[in-house]
Amino acid sequence: MSIMLLLRQIRLFSQVELSRLWLTRRGLMTLAATAVVWFFLLRYAIAPASEILQEPNFQKSLTAAFGMLGLHQLLNWPAPELTLYWMLSLVLLPFLSLVFTANQLSSDAARGTLRFISLRSSRTAIVLGRFCGQLVVQLCLILLSLTATLIISAIRQDGLSWQAIEAALLISCHLLIVLMPFTALMTVFSAWARSSRLALSLAIVSLGVVFGLLSWLIYHQPDAAFLLEYMPGAQIWQLIPAQGWQSLQLAALPLAQTAVLLLIAQQILSRRAL
Amino acid sequence: MNNPIIKVNQLTKSYGRHKVLNNISFEVNKGETVALIGQNGAGKTTLFSLLCGYIKADSGSMQLLGQQPGSLALFGKVSALPQDAQLDPAFSIGEQLSFYGQLQGLTALAARTETERVLTLVDLAAHYQTKAGALSHGMRKRACMAQAFIGSPALILLDEPTAGLDPANALHIRELISDLSQHASFLISSHNIFELERLCNKVLYLQDGKLQQHHAQPSETTAHLSLQLASGADAAAVDSSEVCQQLRQLAGVKEVTAGRNHEYQLSYQPQAVDDFDIRLLQCLAANGWQYKQLSKGKSLEQQLFARTKAAAI
Repeated sequence: MSIMLLLRQIRLFSQVELSRLWLTRRGLMTLAATAVVWFFLLRYAIAPASEILQEPNFQKSLTAAFGMLGLHQLLNWPAPELTLYWMLSLVLLPFLSLVFTANQLSSDAARGTLRFISLRSSRTAIVLGRFCGQLVVQLCLILLSLTATLIISAIRQDGLSWQAIEAALLISCHLLIVLMPFTALMTVFSAWARSSRLALSLAIVSLGVVFGLLSWLIYHQPDAAFLLEYMPGAQIWQLIPAQGWQSLQLAALPLAQTAVLLLIAQQILSRRAL
Repeated sequence: MNNPIIKVNQLTKSYGRHKVLNNISFEVNKGETVALIGQNGAGKTTLFSLLCGYIKADSGSMQLLGQQPGSLALFGKVSALPQDAQLDPAFSIGEQLSFYGQLQGLTALAARTETERVLTLVDLAAHYQTKAGALSHGMRKRACMAQAFIGSPALILLDEPTAGLDPANALHIRELISDLSQHASFLISSHNIFELERLCNKVLYLQDGKLQQHHAQPSETTAHLSLQLASGADAAAVDSSEVCQQLRQLAGVKEVTAGRNHEYQLSYQPQAVDDFDIRLLQCLAANGWQYKQLSKGKSLEQQLFARTKAAAI
């Protein structure tokens, strides 16, 4: 398949997913749910906690308690709201990503819509297009919630620094990379399962089983602990204290995981009867 | 010179131990409109799915326009109406068909224009903005059919195109297929044998996983007529054995078989009499029998299922 045709079709699939977010009832419900979740997080967690983070005594305590782990680096973000957004997002968004991206292919396959599409597009383009579409949708949601966080910070500080905007851009890049393997994991399961609910259940159970087996293996063979570093999201703990654009060097593992998972999804869909 | 647009050779497909298609081979030439007939479970939809590249064959080979099913070269050249496939209920049918047009390589503007054209073909132009989920079953079916006409496909595969449509829309679709068959080849699966008889010039009959080809070519030595007598109050008294006896006395008649509902199949030698049909009408008039329908040739139903029917009678 020519690369230009592939890229064109990926762009078309992404546009459809964006339309699904902004122009369909289901998409607007997703937006509303995201807005509600972030409203409560911003109003009742991030805003009050930002005040606490500003207090010198708290900063001294944090440095003393977690200095060895490098968590005091969190205080170096240009706005405390961004510090809290960063921590919450790194923990919450991977799980939300599993839920929001569970229906990449399964409904269309069950409904037969993929039969119409596969007469006009390769299954590789379908997999990559739906994956990229989901990433674009998640990027929209991240940018919206980050904008709301910056607005709260600007209100509190009576202004917004360029450093805060740059930090927000860095956070959005990092979060997108963190979400890539989780989104690709759902591409795999939605290419295989007959419904989004089944895809989500399979993903959660599979992650649980793999973590359980690895824990059992590491308990008996401590040398196998390095295997945990290859699980999706393994770099999150290293990312929490990370600062600056050079921290993007941690992106290699999630990008590699994403490539492997997309290859598996492509193979599954290529062999699947439509 | 024949120009095969579909070439299938020794194709086999099984589900578990059940062999749905058993070493079938056939060719469809450019410009032909081909009927695919068979009982429920005969393998029609499986054959469609194989030709569209939805499933893989166990063995054998297939070529559409010289390419493997599902290959990139066929995008926009082969289209299909798969059985039971539905459009996404969240989007309007216009948006979805435009998207399909763009996937086929059209620009956004050209895809919109093309979508309006194909929706007009199936009488849904006013429903461009209607969501697929808000359409009736028949309208959804027509919208699904419209997507098969986007662009200028050389081969169109239709699985049960008029199933679930009301008679007026079914007629409209038949006329549409008839018009479009001037520009594209069709492979049509249907249980409506009369519909296929009107539309198609070649028949593929699937039975027990094997294929029987039938060409609607007239024989030089034997001609056939299908006769149905009127079934009103007067006609109720007509004795079919008496009708058969009278018809057998006509010059050139080789065989007369009676069916249900006052139907008769006549085989005769066209060389023996030039005006056989006129003599037949005179015979009917002389006996006071009114006819409801008289058509030349055997019906497709008779050609395919004659043995079964004869045994039943």
